[in-house]
Amino acid sequence: MARETRQADNDGAQVFTVELLDTGEVFACPEDQTVLKAMLALGHKGIPSGCHGGGCGVCMVKVERGEVRSLPMSAEHIGPQQRRDNIVLACRSFAQSDLQLSVAGKMKMNMKPRRYGFV
Amino acid sequence: MGVMRIGHVNLRVLDMDAALGHYIGVLGMSKTGEDEAGNIYLKAWDEWDRYSLILSPSDRAGMNHIAYKVEHDSDLDALRQRVEDYGIAVEEVPAGTLQYCGRAMKFNLPSGHEFYLYAQKEFAGKAVGVTNPDPWPQNRTGAAVHWLDHALLICELNPEKGINKVAENMDFMKKALDFYLAEQVMVGPDGDIPAAAWMFRSSTPHDIAFVGGEKMGFHHCAFFLDSWDDVLKAADIMAMNKVRIDVTPQRHGITRGYTIYFFDPSGNRNETFAGLGYLAQPDMPVITWTEQELGRGIFYHTGELVPSFTDVYT
Ligand code: FES
Ligand SMILES: [Fe+2]
Repeated sequence: MARETRQADNDGAQVFTVELLDTGEVFACPEDQTVLKAMLALGHKGIPSGCHGGGCGVCMVKVERGEVRSLPMSAEHIGPQQRRDNIVLACRSFAQSDLQLSVAGKMKMNMKPRRYGFV
Repeated sequence: MGVMRIGHVNLRVLDMDAALGHYIGVLGMSKTGEDEAGNIYLKAWDEWDRYSLILSPSDRAGMNHIAYKVEHDSDLDALRQRVEDYGIAVEEVPAGTLQYCGRAMKFNLPSGHEFYLYAQKEFAGKAVGVTNPDPWPQNRTGAAVHWLDHALLICELNPEKGINKVAENMDFMKKALDFYLAEQVMVGPDGDIPAAAWMFRSSTPHDIAFVGGEKMGFHHCAFFLDSWDDVLKAADIMAMNKVRIDVTPQRHGITRGYTIYFFDPSGNRNETFAGLGYLAQPDMPVITWTEQELGRGIFYHTGELVPSFTDVYT
């Protein structure tokens, strides 16, 4: 995508560009805002949004390209395998460069069939 | 008399400082103890026992156990017998195993959740005391929740594989622990599959709830507030503190409660729950919600089931 990083937002934070490969959505992500918050703030829906605390695991994404910095994430969802595969929780991760992401949750919750009310 | 009420929940947190900022700063609980393992004990101002919440440092979110208080020490032996007769193994743990508590009976619900019964917990007293008390303490902070009100546990539900831990828990709570069913959700082509249940021992619509999901987990624990005004104010305080709100102030159809769903900093869902709902009594007819009206049961105004309700839990 080789898009140029934008200069800075209002408080001087660098702003990167995030592209969601599943939906083609592209949005700006300041370095001091989590990828998930930045996405929601601009009205996008591509990554499922849940607890925003690194606990529930629904916002799991694979970093296909670029660098992120992540706060502690529940080992229930991010174990050694996920770390090797560059899978992170979008609610706990900050962009350090422009990013390309794909949704990695086992089931994309918004599209899940529900035959028995809740499941 | 058997089980009186919910006693406490033990939640795992990823960042203790952030968790205390939330439960003390935003919800207004107080720290009332800690142990060598780094667990922190908290109580709300209107509670008299030493704690209703244990926070445990961990690398994952979720619930370690839930505990209910029985009236008499002898209830522990009687209920132990009932639980064992039901076919569930019980371990008696000595006083102090649950910090600041007397002996306790430990077992797992059919859904797998770890469950304790205890009769005695160290006394701490309400913040307003018991002699000519004020209606509320002047020095309260944050949302100033009154007490831990109930918890909702996610139980595995997969009718195609014949798995229904909601139904199993309902049967167990009723037959072994004398809980009463206030409301239920029935789903499936014939409307005969229990998918959720709200059960009580006190006189409010629920002291525990079970909802079907993909796998066992913790959905939320709820803290009591008096009124709709308090709920709005609590939401304001959450917004001021950038708390992640899942569902803004709204009414539940089921239990009639005034609610906010929100998350602690580790992603464990909390609720503030206001209003009595209604007087729940053992002879009250059970309320049933159908699959078509399920959305309205959960979120009465919008009538829409949001995916996060069943897919986001710890
Ligand atoms: S939204 Fe729950 S882990 Fe990210
Ligand atoms: Fe609740």
